[in-house]
Amino acid sequence: MTLKLISVSLLAAAAFTSIAHAQTLNVVTAGDTNMVDYINDFLAPRFEELHPGVSVRALGTGPGDAGSQAIYEKIVAQADADTWDVDVAVIHQRMAGQMTEQGMLANYRDDIETGHLVTRSTAENALGVNVSGYVMPMFHSQIAIAYNPDLISEPPQSYEDLVQWAAENPGQFGYNGITGGMAGVGFVFGWLSAFSGMADQIANGPWDDGAVEEWAPALEALRAFNQNVTITPGNAGTLDAMNRGEIAMGPVWMDMFYTWVADGRLNPNLQLLILEPGMPGQPMYYTVAERAAEPELAREFIAFATSPEIQAEGIVGQFNWFPGIDAEHVRDQMDQDAWDRLYADVSPEIMAERGISMPQADYFQAILEAYERSVSN
Amino acid sequence: MSLSNASRVSRSPLQNASHTKWYSVALVAPALAAIVFLFAVPLIRSVVTAFIDADGGWTLENISRAVEFYGRDVVFTIVIAVLSLAVIAAISIAIAGYLTLGSTPWAVAALRWLYRWPLFIPFIVAGQTARSFLARNGLMNSMLMEAGLLEPVAAQSFLDWRGLVMTFAWKQVPFVTLLLAGAMASLDRATIESARNLGANRLRCLFEIVLPQVRPTLFVGLILSLVTIMSVLSVPMMIIAGTPNMMTTMMAHRVTYYGDYAVANALGLFSYLLTALVAWFYLRSTLEKEAGK
Repeated sequence: MTLKLISVSLLAAAAFTSIAHAQTLNVVTAGDTNMVDYINDFLAPRFEELHPGVSVRALGTGPGDAGSQAIYEKIVAQADADTWDVDVAVIHQRMAGQMTEQGMLANYRDDIETGHLVTRSTAENALGVNVSGYVMPMFHSQIAIAYNPDLISEPPQSYEDLVQWAAENPGQFGYNGITGGMAGVGFVFGWLSAFSGMADQIANGPWDDGAVEEWAPALEALRAFNQNVTITPGNAGTLDAMNRGEIAMGPVWMDMFYTWVADGRLNPNLQLLILEPGMPGQPMYYTVAERAAEPELAREFIAFATSPEIQAEGIVGQFNWFPGIDAEHVRDQMDQDAWDRLYADVSPEIMAERGISMPQADYFQAILEAYERSVSN
Repeated sequence: MSLSNASRVSRSPLQNASHTKWYSVALVAPALAAIVFLFAVPLIRSVVTAFIDADGGWTLENISRAVEFYGRDVVFTIVIAVLSLAVIAAISIAIAGYLTLGSTPWAVAALRWLYRWPLFIPFIVAGQTARSFLARNGLMNSMLMEAGLLEPVAAQSFLDWRGLVMTFAWKQVPFVTLLLAGAMASLDRATIESARNLGANRLRCLFEIVLPQVRPTLFVGLILSLVTIMSVLSVPMMIIAGTPNMMTTMMAHRVTYYGDYAVANALGLFSYLLTALVAWFYLRSTLEKEAGK
């Protein structure tokens, strides 16, 4: 009986000790299911192996800015609590700015060893808001023009050339307007940056009440341009239409393009280019909630996820995204083939020169509303 | 007899009734709570939000913005819904009619086996299938070209209102047919046989004998289809390129790109009004029929 009692006590003590040491890291991520899969299937097992007793729990809140909005609302709902059930939040640019301004995020970048590996402007500025120190880019996603070199030997290299090309080849350029996904939205942002004469102000602010009126000629030109193009249903719709030979050019997300090619779903002869003066791209950010229950663990997780090895193997290798940290740090971790594949059509120099940021938050919405009012209505 | 038993026996009918009432309420409470918290509260909240501005005051601004920006989409939605319902009704009546009145057993059996298939296909799959089937260089045009029925230069994309109506009809016809064929099968065959014996052909039998008797079922099927059409997001998003588009797509657009629930809810209001109007007509006709009995 005594022996039994002792063994039960020992078991209970062991269970208690393991509970005491068990730590759960809550990673809440906006984005598609692939984001949750990436954390659950790729990052979590590797991180847990390095941190015995830690379990990573990923929660997805849905794609697009609405997913980031859901994370914001989740934190607002528990604003008065001592700790929040969000340790690491993976969010888009717009919400990163808003949450930084409202004191929901911790300033942590200088505390992690990979913090100095990123120098891109989007690590400092998110749609016009200074987020330096509060965010670490997880990846960078870039919009570019895909074209079929079998049909177009000398593709237009700038928005201005494209207007002329579309007039000469009606229906051969296709994009998805602004209601079918961000590739089309990004194309329109690039158009406004090219033709409004306000590129810097659109990217960095400040907001000017009279701006929308100044865009009238650029929007009028876009309306005329739309008469010569094919409007496609969605980002995937543009790639589908290229596959079927219905259009010869169209804006796409570069990572989606490479993934489709790798999966054998897209004509591998298609190529990419970024129009002058520039087309937008965007990162998603790793952030630490201001009142995270496990702030130390959250920082370690982000340092791990933004290490050159993980960025090369996971972000580039699995998703064909551009790395969140500077590409030069990732290069050593990649074989030459993989590197060449990633930068085959668009060199790092062209990326730096023509990859622009998404508009400042006020302009972001104003451009979409102006398009709905003057171009598509 | 013990005292407690005596008191149980002497309990008044009123007490028994109140006990029964308490149990009834307890039994219905979970279902009621689900309806209140998962349906009524979100509905009321959504309607109220449509009339509230950023500062929390009452406003009609959201409604006027919804009309200004998405008026065309509201009209488009109504036109698509009406057209789809007309196509659904016509095809469902034809199929259910043939299942009931058809005289070729193997054709009836084959049709009965085939028509239900789309019921098991999710909307998003139907949308993706339609997208590759109806595109300009899609499967449908390719087959027509192979058969020599279509010149390549004359090929056009059906990824517009026509594709949307076709997809909604393809998806909803089996549902309405299932209801309608069931109702027709439960009719008294004697009325049909009598009409046939008196020389009425099958078409006349269908429209003058069978259809009037199953009209309420047809209306129920069409109203449920309308609600489905008004709420599907994937199909219009995948098929329609650009604008105008269905209200669901524009609501999603408003939330995704603007984080603007107020205008999205104002658009939702138009959906509620439209479905409520149809439901009201249906209820009124049902009540009139009941009163006439």
